[in-house]
Amino acid sequence: MKFEKKRASTKQEIPTASLPDIVFMLLLFFMVSTTLREVDVLVQYTLPEADAIEKIENKRLISYIWVGKDEKIQLNDNLVTLEEIQPIMYEKRVDLPNVIVSLRVDKNSDMGVVTDIQQELRKADARRVNYSARLKQ
Amino acid sequence: MVKIKKRKMGEAEIPTGSMADISFLLLLFFLVSTVIDVDTGIGLTLPEFVPESDQELVPISKDRMAALLINENGDVLLNKEIIAIPQIKDNLKERIKSKIELPSNKKLIVSVKTDRKTNYNLYIQALDQVKGAYFEVREEYAMSQFSKEVRDLTEEEDKDMKDKIPMIISIAEPEKI
Repeated sequence: MKFEKKRASTKQEIPTASLPDIVFMLLLFFMVSTTLREVDVLVQYTLPEADAIEKIENKRLISYIWVGKDEKIQLNDNLVTLEEIQPIMYEKRVDLPNVIVSLRVDKNSDMGVVTDIQQELRKADARRVNYSARLKQ
Repeated sequence: MVKIKKRKMGEAEIPTGSMADISFLLLLFFLVSTVIDVDTGIGLTLPEFVPESDQELVPISKDRMAALLINENGDVLLNKEIIAIPQIKDNLKERIKSKIELPSNKKLIVSVKTDRKTNYNLYIQALDQVKGAYFEVREEYAMSQFSKEVRDLTEEEDKDMKDKIPMIISIAEPEKI
């Protein structure tokens, strides 16, 4: 006697025609949300921690200033001195009227350098600042 | 009649089988290279820069001012009384609350002043307390007025709340040494 294997008569295939579409959609999302140009940070810093912090929604408005452990100041891609901040920030401010300056300052630095930077920013009229901080655990 | 035979067109098709593979590859690249880090921190608007010669002194009544001084040893003075940093929030909350119904030119002004040698972390902790006080008062106000949380408020309600409880934090003019 011959045994015949039972086989389902329906097709056993997942339709893959729409797969590229789905993947492209994901791809598009990541392409849009990615900010590719990451700046090399040349200073060492640890951010302070705080509770009452806010998120900045609009990343394109932010420009960063880093202050490292050794009081080095980095603006955009390179290290700058205090006097250079004002003209650079002023130019930025002309391009982007509501620029937010995110200050990423090492938590052990002194207020002196922060005050100096703030004075420069005020002179450049870039007055929206954000003291970068991490959420307290 | 002579039948003119139509030339049969070769079927023109682009093989799309590998399309998914290609797009997956691209997807993978973007997945790996993306950094979704949201910048978090304490936002503040600095006062406008006025040259020293143009500066005017505007008298501000004492009960409007909350002067916060932080010196280089980490001692904190709130209205000339020594206070510990975690106490700032409760202290300010009372004062902010008592001024909710006052007109906008009578609201509390918090002025923060530091030494050049003050530790930055201390300054952030103090500022955090001040912000925290405002956030908590706003939260309570939204709860009692609209019985909603702040983030659920409509635009008008949000505006009303911000009019009633404006955040006025002033960074004191640094002194010349």
